Amino acid sequence: MNEQAKKARDIIVNYKGRPLRIMEVCGTHTHEIFKLGLRKLLPENVELISGPGCPVCVTPVGFIDEAIWLALEKGCVITTFGDLIRVPGTEMSLAGARAKGAVVRPVYSPLDAVEMARQNPDEQIVFLAVGFETTTPSACLAAETAKKEGLTNFSLLTANKTMPNAYAALEGSADAFLYPGHVNAITGTSICEDLKDKGVSGVIAGFTASELLTALAVILKNAEKDEPFFVNCYPRVVKPEGNPPAQKLIEKVMEPCDTEWRGLGVIPMSGMKLRDEYADFDARKKYAMPEIKGRPNPACRCGEVLQGKCKPCDCKVFGKVCTPEHPVGACMVSDEGACAAYYQYGGI
Amino acid sequence: MCVGLSAKVVNVKDGTALIDANGAKREVSADLLEDLEPGDYVMVHAGVAIAKITESDEEEANDVMEGLL
Repeated sequence: MNEQAKKARDIIVNYKGRPLRIMEVCGTHTHEIFKLGLRKLLPENVELISGPGCPVCVTPVGFIDEAIWLALEKGCVITTFGDLIRVPGTEMSLAGARAKGAVVRPVYSPLDAVEMARQNPDEQIVFLAVGFETTTPSACLAAETAKKEGLTNFSLLTANKTMPNAYAALEGSADAFLYPGHVNAITGTSICEDLKDKGVSGVIAGFTASELLTALAVILKNAEKDEPFFVNCYPRVVKPEGNPPAQKLIEKVMEPCDTEWRGLGVIPMSGMKLRDEYADFDARKKYAMPEIKGRPNPACRCGEVLQGKCKPCDCKVFGKVCTPEHPVGACMVSDEGACAAYYQYGGI
Repeated sequence: MCVGLSAKVVNVKDGTALIDANGAKREVSADLLEDLEPGDYVMVHAGVAIAKITESDEEEANDVMEGLL
């Protein structure tokens, strides 16, 4: 351990200030903090709670039902980030739909789905576009590429989300946020500065041991002052202006819309949908999709977990009926989900 | 899904960058970064390079901690 890391550790273990609830917004932070054993360093008066920053976890049940409708009713080939395949819909997951004949292919990038459309002109390829500001540019690049090339067999089923209005919905859930570094790599730091002006504290954190130790130490040191603060602890990746070409691309291809978050309900203007100029690549419009409303399993408490209102182990199905092999809720499926982290690293 | 991959740029051509992440090579989109050159380090997300980065997180931690103490 280097000298700076030791100093950060000392700040954390010797914290004697007011009780603090720190929300890890990003699911990858939750997993890394568990994996690195950082929770064990924290004094009793500091609590880490998981937030809604796993895109798979906040995707509502109805979205899975929509994807299954496209696959089974319209014969579309569904391409998706692998995490979504086992997320339960109202009656089945995409994995279950495969057993009924659905074609579902995991891809690493939306651009891989575009390539699949190029190579297979007889197939109708739909990419499931979920994710926050980090992922949205890649979906926009895919739509832009398909439009430029005149591909008629590629479309997006969108459930893209943006963080600023979610922070407003989470007001009062935590004393400080560990902001998701890769969202800010796109958006820049102005969102966090604005939140500070509204009295919300937080730091932008990276993902290595050194970066997470530093970020936690910065929160605890600033918490002693008892006034709102913001520090960018990930400057090697996050620049104040973010990524302007990515911001311009999103602005060109998509526009804000109301959207449903699992557990948080509909948050006004917290989603992104394709603009009318890209209607040919919007699967809902292309296939005249009817309104499909999902029904979540009432036993699952993912919604409360995502708001920091309860821990995964407070849910009665956690670790019993709901396991990574047989997930009931999305938070147990995704590698970034809080329930999966608690199950894998402890907390039962 | 949100896991970023830090990688070194090997070459750049027509909006596509060949990257090297600890020996694993892959082509990713370089459309969202201006003036990308071989030798640069980037953060890659879902097949797209989203940010130029510096290689070392230790140097970064030193700077942040110095500002704190």
